[in-house]
Amino acid sequence: MRPQIGFAALALLEQAGCTVEVPAVQTCCGQPAANAGDAGGARRIARQVITAFEGFDYVVAPSGSCAATIKVQYPELFAREPAMHASAMALAGKTHELLSFLWDIRHWQPQGVALAASAAYHDSCSGLRELGIQAQPRRMLGKVDGLELRPLEGSTVCCGFGGTFCVKYPAISNAIADDKARAIEATGAEILLGGDLGCLMNMAGKLHRRGAATRSFHAAEVLAGMADGPAIGETA
Amino acid sequence: MSRERILAAARAALGRTAPPDAAAIRAEAATLLAGPDRGRPPRTGTLTERFIERLTHPKVGGTVEQVAMLTDLPRAVRAYLSTNALPARIAVQPEPRLQALDWSGIATHDGVATDEILAVALADCGIAESGSLVFHSAPTSPTLFSFLPLHHIVALDTSKLLEWLEDYATAYTAAGQAQPRNVNIITGASGTTDIEGRLVRGAHGPGFLHVVLFGG
Amino acid sequence: MRPNLPPFQERAGAALRDKTLKLAIDRTTGTAERNRAVAVAAWPEFQSARDLGRDIRAHVVNNIDHYLVEFERNAVASGAAVHWAATADEACQIVVEICRKAGAKSVTRSKSMLGEEIGLPHALEAAKIERVETDLAEHIIQLAGDPPSHIVWPALHKTREQVKELFAASHRDPGAMEDVEAMVQAARRELRAKFMAADVGISGANFLVADTGSVCTVTNEGNAELTTTPPRVHIVTAGIEKLVPSTAHAMALLRLLVRSATGAELTQYTTFHTGPKRPGDRDGPDEFHIVLVDNGRTKMLGDGLAEMLRCIRCGACLNHCVVYRHIGGHAYGGTYPGPMGSVLTPSLDGLPASRDLAHACTLNGSCQEVCPVKIPLPTLLRGWRDRSWREGLEPRSVRRALWAWKFVATRPALYRAVSAFAVLGMQLFAKRGWIESMPLAGGWTAHRGLPAPASSTFMQQYQARKRAAK
Repeated sequence: MRPQIGFAALALLEQAGCTVEVPAVQTCCGQPAANAGDAGGARRIARQVITAFEGFDYVVAPSGSCAATIKVQYPELFAREPAMHASAMALAGKTHELLSFLWDIRHWQPQGVALAASAAYHDSCSGLRELGIQAQPRRMLGKVDGLELRPLEGSTVCCGFGGTFCVKYPAISNAIADDKARAIEATGAEILLGGDLGCLMNMAGKLHRRGAATRSFHAAEVLAGMADGPAIGETA
Repeated sequence: MSRERILAAARAALGRTAPPDAAAIRAEAATLLAGPDRGRPPRTGTLTERFIERLTHPKVGGTVEQVAMLTDLPRAVRAYLSTNALPARIAVQPEPRLQALDWSGIATHDGVATDEILAVALADCGIAESGSLVFHSAPTSPTLFSFLPLHHIVALDTSKLLEWLEDYATAYTAAGQAQPRNVNIITGASGTTDIEGRLVRGAHGPGFLHVVLFGG
Repeated sequence: MRPNLPPFQERAGAALRDKTLKLAIDRTTGTAERNRAVAVAAWPEFQSARDLGRDIRAHVVNNIDHYLVEFERNAVASGAAVHWAATADEACQIVVEICRKAGAKSVTRSKSMLGEEIGLPHALEAAKIERVETDLAEHIIQLAGDPPSHIVWPALHKTREQVKELFAASHRDPGAMEDVEAMVQAARRELRAKFMAADVGISGANFLVADTGSVCTVTNEGNAELTTTPPRVHIVTAGIEKLVPSTAHAMALLRLLVRSATGAELTQYTTFHTGPKRPGDRDGPDEFHIVLVDNGRTKMLGDGLAEMLRCIRCGACLNHCVVYRHIGGHAYGGTYPGPMGSVLTPSLDGLPASRDLAHACTLNGSCQEVCPVKIPLPTLLRGWRDRSWREGLEPRSVRRALWAWKFVATRPALYRAVSAFAVLGMQLFAKRGWIESMPLAGGWTAHRGLPAPASSTFMQQYQARKRAAK
């Protein structure tokens, strides 16, 4: 949907001293099947993912919910298959969400990155509650010259995305997203930042529909100095 | 019939092949609470200070005064009646130590009426952690004394203050001790948050709780 | 589930359109959330207390057969009559029969969610016994003819303005009711005589203490004791999972229960009831009956829901659930709403009627985060989703869409091609970067713009760059 997030992740990982490969055999982590209750389907995709990433030291995803699916859901999916469970645990152990990987594992910090803007940061639920990501993105963004992080009331409250939830229960999702959009607007921040594209698209889409001027970026785009172009939903 | 069905279903669900080992279960239950102060709230000051701090906290809403001896209680009650402009006609718990006090100037009775304005009682003990008063029902301690009056004045011997809720459990409910019919642990005046979540006093029980600490 | 309900989406839709409801929910859950946060912040040992709470409850659930027998033995020794009910109907029959034997015309009731679960209000009505709800919230919803919408605040869906109207219409002496304090006084006046006139008082139980045979109730109003003390007969209805080993264990759980529910340290009235009136007692019931109710609990134990039996009914998961806070309790359709209700209802009322509950959840994890006994609610909800899928209860449209997606997602080359094609296709619907409506995307675009994707995928651009670099 937004290739620039992938390229921002590539750039950041290389700055953090990593040699990065993007295996072409990967597709999706299987979250839609796992969340729909189709454990069998989720396992098929998980096997494929486990194989695809066997030879690497680390697996990094620019999304808390994808990383959490691999780290938390995969071992549960294979709870009754000892051999696969061991492989799932091995993958879970080396899989990280991008922002926490940069800060916690690579001890990377932005240097010479600037963005003159005020920003509100939304904590996406999977990253926050399943992976403990809260301080890391704020610490790194705090080192971006000219960026002012404004407190967002209810920053840890769900935005109403929830994967397929948002299209299965659109009216409920909309009500939740509307509250979130109001809270973002109330900060008066020029940009909205987060670590998960799904949540960001939901919030950006709601802000746009409400006629708000807030622009939305993935935090990785800001950290990689790539937030000078179109925001989510903007054309070049 | 249903008793055996429920127990059999529970045993089947738990995968029991032998009857539960009661001694092992008791030991495991005791171990859970064995850690020193596991999960307890913080504490500051002396026992009495802690009790008073909790009791008078806005969330609890009690008022308190300290007197030297139980015999000072009638004087405190007279002052309370006068301050609050209440009639000098009160219910006094049929507890011998209270009945023996000099209530001159106040008409007392030892039963509690449905619309009783004020009742005076003696607590069995207090719990500092939560600012609670404990009453054990008995012929000398009817339960309704704590629930029917609008104003509840409670005398408490400071030597009967306990630190933690568990201390009460250990002191009064240990194996083999006879349980009172009712143990009422009372923490402040009656209140309700049922209309929009906001705390309002005087729902069904007393609207006002005043504690007279004596001794210590 | 309540009978004759419209489908979940319609119930939720109606709730979302009700702006007064949203106001009412926000007022109570907002206050509860803030007060809990303050209480937890003042308790450095909160996390270790949660571990202890989980351990105590898990220990009881794992030994429930032992504790049931121990409780029964001690309760009977204290003079209580212990009854066992495998089903809701059996429990109601036992209660109604006790009331009949006592010649009861009027029964006071102190709020009990178990009583709601087994349908006791209806059973009493059917037996033509006057039922007086004494908890303020239950009194409000009895006047309104509503079911409860929250497990701690059953009348949470009513604003103060609506309560005032109800009282004005039905109280004998409502007064002016200029503020909430005056409304509370109006209810106090209305109910006082009824407490004293009742033949039977019925309460629930927050805990059943195995080693003393005591029943613990907690209230803030004092209505439980006024319900259980004056009448000749006191009946307790309790779920079998309410057991605790001892009073000390109950105390450790009370700390968690009350702070999680209202943010207070302890409820105003915490009472341990042990048997009937003793010789010389001036008050107290002549008969003390305890009805132990299974109603599906042993089934949950064997069905992978043992963790749910740890629940102490604090309501924190409701207060912190974004879905509950928008649709309120009635839309859930069962006795128990919110996250804990979405786990319990399929077990109590059957999955076919309640499969939506497991799906109408964003899996954001707030409920598990606040649960005082660490119940993994999202995992249990996922369990119901898995089961619904396995049992073929998911709609055909969902199964087809997921089948097509899996077909593509398990074929990497096809996945890349389809993704590349899809982003191009989506371009057709985009105007200045946004898609405002598109076939198959109505669920999204009805309420928000869909950011148009870039014209080529990350994988295409990445491979092009790699080729260029060579």
